[in-house]
Amino acid sequence: MLLKRIQPMVFQARRLYVDIMFQVMGRALQAVSEVDETVQNEARALPQGLLFEMMVMPEGPRLIVEHIGDGYFHYHGDSAPRPVDLSIQFKHIAHAFLVLSFQEKTSEAFANDRMLVDGDVSYAVRMTRVLNRLETFILPKLIAERAVKEYPASLHLPEKLISAARIYLKVATNFVETARP
Amino acid sequence: MSHKYYEFFCPVKVIAGKAALEHIPYELTGLAAKRPMIVTDKGVRAAGLLDPVIAACEESGLEIVSIYDDVPPDSSTSVVRDIAGIYRQEKCDAIIAVGGGSAIDTGKAVNILVSEGGDDIARYSGAGILKHPLKPFFVVPTTAGTGSEVTAVAVITDEKKGVKLPFTSSFLLPNAAIIDPRMTLTLPPHITAATAMDAMTHATEAFTCMAKNPLSDAYATAAIKKISQSLLNVMDNPKDTEGRLELAQASTMAGIAFSNSMVGLVHSLGHATGAICHLPHGLCMSLYLPYVLEYNLESIREPLGELLLYLEGPEVYSATPASRRAEATISAIRKLRDQLYKRCQLPRTLKETGKVLENQLDHIAEMALDDGSIMFNPKEVTLEDARAVLRRAWA
Repeated sequence: MLLKRIQPMVFQARRLYVDIMFQVMGRALQAVSEVDETVQNEARALPQGLLFEMMVMPEGPRLIVEHIGDGYFHYHGDSAPRPVDLSIQFKHIAHAFLVLSFQEKTSEAFANDRMLVDGDVSYAVRMTRVLNRLETFILPKLIAERAVKEYPASLHLPEKLISAARIYLKVATNFVETARP
Repeated sequence: MSHKYYEFFCPVKVIAGKAALEHIPYELTGLAAKRPMIVTDKGVRAAGLLDPVIAACEESGLEIVSIYDDVPPDSSTSVVRDIAGIYRQEKCDAIIAVGGGSAIDTGKAVNILVSEGGDDIARYSGAGILKHPLKPFFVVPTTAGTGSEVTAVAVITDEKKGVKLPFTSSFLLPNAAIIDPRMTLTLPPHITAATAMDAMTHATEAFTCMAKNPLSDAYATAAIKKISQSLLNVMDNPKDTEGRLELAQASTMAGIAFSNSMVGLVHSLGHATGAICHLPHGLCMSLYLPYVLEYNLESIREPLGELLLYLEGPEVYSATPASRRAEATISAIRKLRDQLYKRCQLPRTLKETGKVLENQLDHIAEMALDDGSIMFNPKEVTLEDARAVLRRAWA
């Protein structure tokens, strides 16, 4: 009985969590493309103007990021200026929650059919590597190891801390700048 | 609570064994189809492989209304449009694809157009675009390797844009796959070897990559056992009907396995090598398999070790310490490749192919990193990793 009563609140909290995580991730994708050369090199292979979307089916939370050229991303929030070119779609909010709460790795989510790719698969592979790189920077190692297939042995603490600080600062600045009055 | 989750789907009716082709008329009638069209290629026709299919239908009073036998090795959007035109003109109501991967993919794509309408197959490219079942579609494979008869994908080249269009939908799966040993009896030795190793790779990667699941595992291990028990016998005695049927069934089983649990780095490297150096897919699979297994070894030690039972049998398996079984599995695959090299010079290294230049390895590595199957490889592959595997596979 109690479970039945609190269930709507749990669902609402889960949706809110996913929504907030998408907002953080979108801004962090823009930030990491401004601070990390590896991400820039990955992104350079994407066509300029490519719109990437990550969303929850059917009309759930979403983030939209554009490759504005030379390896830089721009976060568009949850609405795209034109039809997106590449979309990674979670089949259900529960699946998005599993990934965004680091209970399931992104690669596992693909393997477990939690997500669909609509668009060029090679770009989706690239964006997955960018997301993994981002997660290794912004998450503590113990959590990042749960989020990515393999934590890079070459990423040492000083580089991680400096990059994470720069990314978080940019994310926070972006939040302030884009906060609605 | 376990986080393990999987999906498994294969609605294809498998009709396999002696006189399997003769079941086609009955199966078509069961789907209310009376005017089938055959889609095939010139090689299949020249080898006389259409004759038993046509005879099986005519004997039951079922007329093959049209035969399109000009499917190229890399089928294109214009070929698909032309065949769909003939299908409509002749008022056909079913498609029978007879051949290897290209004829089967073409049959799938034609079925989209004749079922959904229009002339532009590119409109249906992508995943999940199709929302309705298509027309009756049968597949008669003439190679034992691709597993295309049980996969829900097709790839067609858009020659105007110079890109390969992928189509993914469970509606692409045929209603039936007819596995008849007569269709592979005349395969030349090097194609028999390469296609069987393609199936072996499908099964091995399905069993060791990230989306492995209990149902795919069962198909994968059974396929590996059949290939390891029959391949060399068939190489020594190409007219061995029983052995041919075993290989054909193994190919279908491996196809069911990998279409439900995907593949990994062997395929990423193979796709890139095929695109850059134009090497046959099966050859690439055979070539890269042991090197990739060595690279993945510490991530797949346990499942890889289990495969020793199906490759070498219970005596060798039980005599090998558990800690050495994974390495023994790789050795068994290497041994099989050596035997194939002895019998038909199936290359074991990139150098042995004579068609790959050492300065192409970097390009192959870069392209492999963007291949979709790399996502399911158990280890995260970096550019340097891919280069290292290629260097090992060089000579």
